Amino acid sequence: RERVRAMFYHAYEHYLESAFPYDELRPLTCDGQDTWGSFSLTLIDALDTLLILGNVSEFQRVVNVLQEGVDFDIDVNASVFETNIRVVGGLLSAHLLSRKAGLEVEAGWPCSGPLLRMAEEAARKLLPAFHTPTGMPYGTVNLLHGVNPGETPVTCTAGIGTFIVEFATLSHLTGDPVFEDVARKALKALWKNRSDIGLVGNHIDVLTAKWVAQDAGIGAGVDSYFEYLVKGAILLQDKELMSMFLEYNKAIKNYTKFDDWYLWVQMYKGTVSMPVFQSLEAYWPGLQSLIGDVDNAMRTFLNYYTVWKQFGGLPEFYNIPQGYTVDKREGYPLRPELIESAMYLYRATRDPTLLELGRDAVESIEKISKVDCGFATIKDLRDHRLDNRMESFFLAETIKYLYLLFDPDNFIHNDGSDFDVVVTPYGECVLSAGGYIFNTEAHPIDPAALHCCRKRREEQWEVEDLMREFYSQKKTKKFTLKRAPDRGEGEIIKDPKDVSSEKAGEKRNSKKSSHSLLSCPSQSFNSKLAVLGQVFLDNT
Amino acid sequence: SCSRAKDVTMPAKLPVNFFSTRSPVIDLFRGQLDYADQLRQDSEIVLYFFYAPWCGQSIAAREEIEHVASRLSDQVLFVAVNCWWNQGKCRKQKHFFYFPVIHLYHRSFGPIEYKGPMSAVYIEKFVRRVMTPLLYISSRSKLLDFLSNYEPGVVGFFEFNASPQPPGYLTFFTSALHSLKKDYLGTIRFGVVTDKRVAEEISLVHSGSVYLHRHANTSLIYPKDIMNFTAENICKWALENREMLIRWLRPHGGKSLLLNNELKKGPALLIFIPYNPLAEIHPLLDEITKVALEYHKCNKSQAAEADLQHVGDSGSPAFDSSVTDAHLEFSETFPIAKYPCCNTVVLPQWHSISRTHNVCELCVNQTLGVKPNKVHVPHCNFLEIEAALDSFYLQEHTFFQVISNTIECSNFLSFYSPFSYYTACCRTVNRHFLSFISSEKTIFQTPRVAFSSHGKKDNTQFSIPHIEDRNCFIPDLNISSTNITGLSCRTNKTLNLYLLDSNLFWIYAERLGASRSTHLKEFAAIVDLKEEVHYVLDQNQSLVGPTL
Repeated sequence: RERVRAMFYHAYEHYLESAFPYDELRPLTCDGQDTWGSFSLTLIDALDTLLILGNVSEFQRVVNVLQEGVDFDIDVNASVFETNIRVVGGLLSAHLLSRKAGLEVEAGWPCSGPLLRMAEEAARKLLPAFHTPTGMPYGTVNLLHGVNPGETPVTCTAGIGTFIVEFATLSHLTGDPVFEDVARKALKALWKNRSDIGLVGNHIDVLTAKWVAQDAGIGAGVDSYFEYLVKGAILLQDKELMSMFLEYNKAIKNYTKFDDWYLWVQMYKGTVSMPVFQSLEAYWPGLQSLIGDVDNAMRTFLNYYTVWKQFGGLPEFYNIPQGYTVDKREGYPLRPELIESAMYLYRATRDPTLLELGRDAVESIEKISKVDCGFATIKDLRDHRLDNRMESFFLAETIKYLYLLFDPDNFIHNDGSDFDVVVTPYGECVLSAGGYIFNTEAHPIDPAALHCCRKRREEQWEVEDLMREFYSQKKTKKFTLKRAPDRGEGEIIKDPKDVSSEKAGEKRNSKKSSHSLLSCPSQSFNSKLAVLGQVFLDNT
Repeated sequence: SCSRAKDVTMPAKLPVNFFSTRSPVIDLFRGQLDYADQLRQDSEIVLYFFYAPWCGQSIAAREEIEHVASRLSDQVLFVAVNCWWNQGKCRKQKHFFYFPVIHLYHRSFGPIEYKGPMSAVYIEKFVRRVMTPLLYISSRSKLLDFLSNYEPGVVGFFEFNASPQPPGYLTFFTSALHSLKKDYLGTIRFGVVTDKRVAEEISLVHSGSVYLHRHANTSLIYPKDIMNFTAENICKWALENREMLIRWLRPHGGKSLLLNNELKKGPALLIFIPYNPLAEIHPLLDEITKVALEYHKCNKSQAAEADLQHVGDSGSPAFDSSVTDAHLEFSETFPIAKYPCCNTVVLPQWHSISRTHNVCELCVNQTLGVKPNKVHVPHCNFLEIEAALDSFYLQEHTFFQVISNTIECSNFLSFYSPFSYYTACCRTVNRHFLSFISSEKTIFQTPRVAFSSHGKKDNTQFSIPHIEDRNCFIPDLNISSTNITGLSCRTNKTLNLYLLDSNLFWIYAERLGASRSTHLKEFAAIVDLKEEVHYVLDQNQSLVGPTL
């Protein structure tokens, strides 16, 4: 854990020293460059990592720097997707965490605040992209002028379906429904255009809704669309989003899953088009663990881990039958996905293998990519040549997930036993009780804040009904627990997110109840013994 | 979408020493595979450690290898090769999917890949096996020792007085090396007998014949006339025909179906014991072997009987061999004898405080009288014992002062029935017996659990866990013992026995309910995957019962 912390500061300090206020650090030449816009991206992205590492004072300092220094009224063409997940997501999470970081917050917090206003401002700059006949957004927008004339209408699937977490949060906090509405409309458009066998391709024309790239899979171009269906469903307790995902999940299992790998198939016919594993796909086991499918998640994770062991990183593309990298796709830009999955799975299983991956990742990254000015992207995993880039997700995600993997007591892992009561003009709210939802750039969002800002009077009654129901269930649950004596150790420590999804509807109450009541009475032996690389086949 | 900075790249750092220069391991950090091959000529036994400098596993294994090297460097050459650096010969010629890879050579024979746990003791054990794949068996008692082991043994008989090297000996030697290649756990042990009289013990007459010992089935002699006498064939024959009384399970940490495959075969008894592969004797293992043998013993198998006796004799000198006879006597009189319902209780407090161990035997005695029909049936239901236990624990404090070797008994009345009273006899057992007791537990646990899973209701009086002192000859002890004998023959449902090293795989025990921080890492549990049931043997009072 301490090594991870040292890694963070090595990279962070060199960014501040050599690259700020540019977007990214160039670690080989020790200077900076703008990549996705011009808003000191690495700093925004790394902000909540600072707090997770416990550095309150630096968090406070950076918030002040950002408030003064960042301006979105600039003539820059920016990726709608990247700006959303990195900038809007980063500012939102910083806004929600700012009280925890000891910042003076204004009276309306968490429903108002300077960082929230910045996030809203950035998001508004993206809205013109959504004005299309289909409701699906363009991929690029000019922050000053809107969509450029002659802009390509082709957008990747993920670039359309990765807004609901940030935009719904914005809508709930600010009370302006426009953000959630456009995000939902885009999601529905994708759902409507899925193929007969239930798959989506990876690029679509947002004007005509014709699929331009018809390869279906779980990786590049699609990945965070599926992720946001699940996370959106958990964040908003939305059954419709979840049922969409479960439909996709079925189709994906049917057509793309072979021997716990997920391949690429033609979206209409279901025939295999590319037998490759992509680095980006490694988020999938983490996602599976969020919907409770831990056994399958672990099996797939172990497949991906073998690739890491072969190269010391995950190549962008890995040819599964050949067991080697794919030409021109040998790089590893220090992506977080596999570590992210390891963190989620570790919360669920406590399997030491997952810590082993964490150790491997620390060793590899330190040995291979550490340079004087930071950590450099690995250009080619075959010989470990380095490239002059350090992507902002290295500090936002890779380091954060690594640290959280080794820090089981971090406030992010809160199971509800700790919480803050905040008095707002809208009433009293219970916040930061856990159950954080990470956006796809690893920026945590507190679902309780969403609820807080839209709480209405009549819901109070609903709450009390649920309480009563819950306590009557508890009695029956206790009985089953008694019959399984001393299961404590083997018991699954439920992922905070599972907890929040289980308690459909009411966060405020679930947080207060004791943890063990929310856990399952006992697991099957299959899952209990599925550690240290052991996997079990389904009985079917 | 952005490629403004793609022009500047930096080649990977040049390889540096991975092992320190003072290490007994030769570190070829530039991947000089050709030089590594040259070095092989100098030593009879060579160990290659292929690593990647960035790899966490390689870094973790480095210390273990150094440790082994420091102990064996006078007999074995240790060579580490960086097989990652892309300018090196090794990377160009070899293609590994994981690191580290350990290869062993015995002269020109090799490579034998080591796939066991990356821990120094296991590696050292394996290296020693490669150094001396054949065990020389000089006497009759050594032969018995060799054969009574729980792992299958193959014995070759070669007379050395005829020629400097009898025909077939080299083949046999190579087959032993072959088996290490195929079976990295090294379960099949190879021995060689040179004395004709010793060989006759296992009916080997001709020099050059090979014998595979089996406990439950008849042992085999290698059919030379059917199969060619080659190293591969012998090894294959032994692997195919060996019997597995107890199997070690050593998950390698990668994705594997090992447990899946084994546990789906049926109910399994998983025994966790701390194991040091280098230790000369394993008393606990001998005890378990005994149980396994007994479990598999069918009445006709005399070989097993003999082995059992041998294990018993060598395993525990304190063991009274007349026990076996006693068993028989008692089991014959079983239908007539009347049995009180008894339950032995270990007082948990004593266990942690002192080196002594308090054992109480708790019996429910029913007085003759009002309900005569109840007395004649040796029937004792679970509830009665439970009630007895409850009242016993209420009076527990009265037994605290008992720290002596004498047996103290006290009777107390049941709260529930005026016609029965409980007897509690307490004694103190020295810690010395503790391991003995824990293995005993295994014995008594087995039949009971097996029976309960078979649903044989007529044995319900033993459905309470028992922990017994050897010297205490109470009837039900013997019945338990006799019940186990040949159980595998009598029932069609077999229980598979597995061993796991608790130093490496304690997490599985934890998942089955063992405590995380126990100083004595011994644990046994029966798992039935199909029925989703498991039975746990506890350190203190055992808890048996379906938990799901």
